[in-house]
Amino acid sequence: MSQPRPRRAAVTGIGVVAPNGTSTETFWKSTQEGISVLDRITREGCEHLPLRVAGEVRNFDPPSAVEERYLVQTDRFTHFAMAAADLALDDARLSRAETDEAPFSVGVVTAAGSGGGEFGQRELQQLWGKGSRFVGPYQSIAWFYAASTGQISIRRGFKGPCGVVASDEAGGLDALAHAARAVRRGTDVMVAGATEAPLAPYSMVCQLGYEELSTVDDPARAYRPFTAAACGFVPAEGGAMLVVEAESSARERGAPVRATLAGHAATFTGASRWTQSREGLAEAIRVALREAGCAPEEIDVVFADALGVPEADRAEALAITDALGAHGGRVPVTAPKTGVGRGYGAAPVLDVAAAVLAMEHGLIPPTPNVFDVCHDLDLVTARARAAELRTALVLSRGLMGSNSALVLRLGAGDAS
Amino acid sequence: MTRRVAVTGIGIVAPGGIGAPAFWDLLSNGRTATRGITFFDPSGLRSRIAAECDFDPGAHGLDAEQVARCDRYIQFALVAGEEAIRDSGLDLAVENPWRVGVSLGTAVGGTTRLENDYVLVSHGGERWDVDHREAGPHLHRAFAPSTLASTVAERFEARGPVQTVSTGCTSGLDAVGYAFHTIEEGRADVCITGASDSPISPITMACFDAIKATSPNNDDPAHASRPFDADRNGFVMGEGGAVLVLEELDHALARGAHVYCEVSGYATFGNAYHMTGLTSEGLEMARAIEDALGQARLDGTAIDYVNAHGSGTKQNDRHETAAVKRTLGAHAYDTPMSSIKSMVGHSLGAIGAIEVVACALALTHQVVPPTANYETPDPECDLDYVPRVARERRLNNVLSVGSGFGGFQSAVILSRPREKTP
Amino acid sequence: MSDRITVEELAELMKKAAGVTVSPEELRRRDDVGFDALGIDSLGLLGIVGELENRYGTPMPPDAEKSKSPRQFLDLVNSALLAGA
Repeated sequence: MSQPRPRRAAVTGIGVVAPNGTSTETFWKSTQEGISVLDRITREGCEHLPLRVAGEVRNFDPPSAVEERYLVQTDRFTHFAMAAADLALDDARLSRAETDEAPFSVGVVTAAGSGGGEFGQRELQQLWGKGSRFVGPYQSIAWFYAASTGQISIRRGFKGPCGVVASDEAGGLDALAHAARAVRRGTDVMVAGATEAPLAPYSMVCQLGYEELSTVDDPARAYRPFTAAACGFVPAEGGAMLVVEAESSARERGAPVRATLAGHAATFTGASRWTQSREGLAEAIRVALREAGCAPEEIDVVFADALGVPEADRAEALAITDALGAHGGRVPVTAPKTGVGRGYGAAPVLDVAAAVLAMEHGLIPPTPNVFDVCHDLDLVTARARAAELRTALVLSRGLMGSNSALVLRLGAGDAS
Repeated sequence: MTRRVAVTGIGIVAPGGIGAPAFWDLLSNGRTATRGITFFDPSGLRSRIAAECDFDPGAHGLDAEQVARCDRYIQFALVAGEEAIRDSGLDLAVENPWRVGVSLGTAVGGTTRLENDYVLVSHGGERWDVDHREAGPHLHRAFAPSTLASTVAERFEARGPVQTVSTGCTSGLDAVGYAFHTIEEGRADVCITGASDSPISPITMACFDAIKATSPNNDDPAHASRPFDADRNGFVMGEGGAVLVLEELDHALARGAHVYCEVSGYATFGNAYHMTGLTSEGLEMARAIEDALGQARLDGTAIDYVNAHGSGTKQNDRHETAAVKRTLGAHAYDTPMSSIKSMVGHSLGAIGAIEVVACALALTHQVVPPTANYETPDPECDLDYVPRVARERRLNNVLSVGSGFGGFQSAVILSRPREKTP
Repeated sequence: MSDRITVEELAELMKKAAGVTVSPEELRRRDDVGFDALGIDSLGLLGIVGELENRYGTPMPPDAEKSKSPRQFLDLVNSALLAGA
């Protein structure tokens, strides 16, 4: 007897709130043009810190994105998440009326690596500056890592499986994989992704301990992975949410299947053990390809993790070749995040958004600020490159040691 | 073919009992570990009581470097992890490391260190533009919640899927649930799972004060946590960590491992109602229970014990009583349902895993732990809450449920090892 | 600061503690409408009570946080303040 065909997880909506665009259109335009928006940090109370450059989301107006009460009740990372979820649901043409018909069929999963730091710092200041009675009631729900998933679920009435992976950067891909598995297990729609807001004074002080952090103060030179001038990464805020939906559900309601989450795997090789990440990343790629039923040669583009630490860049370049063989030296590789920074768990979700858009437009966006690549990689630099793209591989590694790989197919991904 | 998932090792750091034997001794004798806060001066707080662990990391094998580097909640996880791995008899040196995963939960992660260092860099809450030169050397590790799973994975050389789960007060149940699905779906053969939290710090106590969720029974800490009792008035903060070794059943049987029980079902749903509020109907928790029962291929009447979330807030205990009645029907009245939070407090993200360990031990000993301090029935909570004294009972399937801020409603079912069916 | 909490002060507190803007005029006109209909949840009301306690340096009656409407709330806290004065 033949097995029933497994439910496939499709991307039907994209919502982006990124340093280079607070709509999917602007994000894609800036991304494909290779515009870098890295700049000096301007958020209040941060100017004196020895971390000078980041990707700030400056074109985001919280009062116009979320209801007034959330400005008092939640942190900036949740404002981003609610706004991105709205954009993704609109993009997927999923209305409140539709989701209300079957609330248990819609779930939410986010990755969160830094929580509501700005909100938390304000309440800590109340507590230690004035006394415990000055801590407000919303601290209990605004700072913690689960805030965004909870608020999206409540605000939109979603009662499906709700989850939070409080992970390092790679957690962004793990959250999408979590959504794909929930779909395979029977949930119709998952709103999945990550947003972060780590650019508050105390949060920045916390990040100063990362030896991989770039403290270079020239925005054009601060984050240049795969070059001899690589000096670490710059952080970013913002992120993206996607609508991950059962292909059958999308077909039923006539929504276009923009891409398929075809394969994923995660491995672990230890915090800051970048040389070892070669093996871990290669293993993750192999398992993800196997799950996707995808041969190495089918990969048309790789969105690299691109940490910007020489040892880590070398490990990634080698891992791509280890896993893809000779094709690894030929496949175009890109890292658009050099133009916006690494928003921790949100970084690979933005890459997935960019990968879907790249496949749709047949255009590989470039890697801003990067020239003179010193690894054996075909890194797309300077300007976008036209190419027929049917399958993309997105890679991510985290500062705490996770490696993750995700294979995306254009559209329903049916073999031609 | 469905892959089944066995529990083959457990380890625990809980208030009043470090290690599984001491923990079970506390629970089965109905002793409480709640007391006045000693970690800091709690004067000025509304709730000044907690269930603290008397935990000496050095005595439990952690070296000075580990103690300096790791936050208290990670120390709990390391110590509980050692116990669980030892208990499982697993020889990690012969396991394929890519097939060993880690899934650990925490609600508030490194808050205690984040707060301590905050006081330094802000000069006691004076400055918004904090002074980074005052920060300690391990602050970045406290900032990143993934440090929890990462540190445990490094210690046990796990190289498979490693994740930290943070869904508020269901983090522990969800971490175990994710580990269960990870093995069931074939992404790992072994998963080190559980949860840890050490939230007894001024900011966390103050934020629960602000919403009056914690009990102000400061004059009688030992009897302060009163789940299901008519006089309950909030939860008592706790801390602790629990780790379980989950293993694909055939993998466990092939090496002759002792199988405590199987994880037979797990589900979670959102209530989409309120970040902290619960409905009196418990529909969404009921849905989680039904879904978990479906995975376990069990009827509600097969449940022999319900390990309640039982936090001791007015709304929670009413909510889950309704959810259990909705799913177990008339059988709910014949099913003991108890809350160990009456004894070990509510350690936020950790407690779900601590409760799963309690369930595994209940199955092993065929004893239901009691609800300590339960004296006065509440008409709205009319089930059998196992007042004060543990009870022997034939247990085959036990259910553990939890609710978390954010609306999370989760359910895990553990079952005695069943005969393998073809 | 007067010894009575006015509708203006309540409106200001609702904005500050719960992020909900309702003008004093509207609050006066609709003082029987429930807090929930105005968008103030249980945490918001707790925040308003906490803020008042800090301002006046005196505990508010325990039922204040359970008030259903602005009118009920003002009656309760003002009689408590009056009694304490």
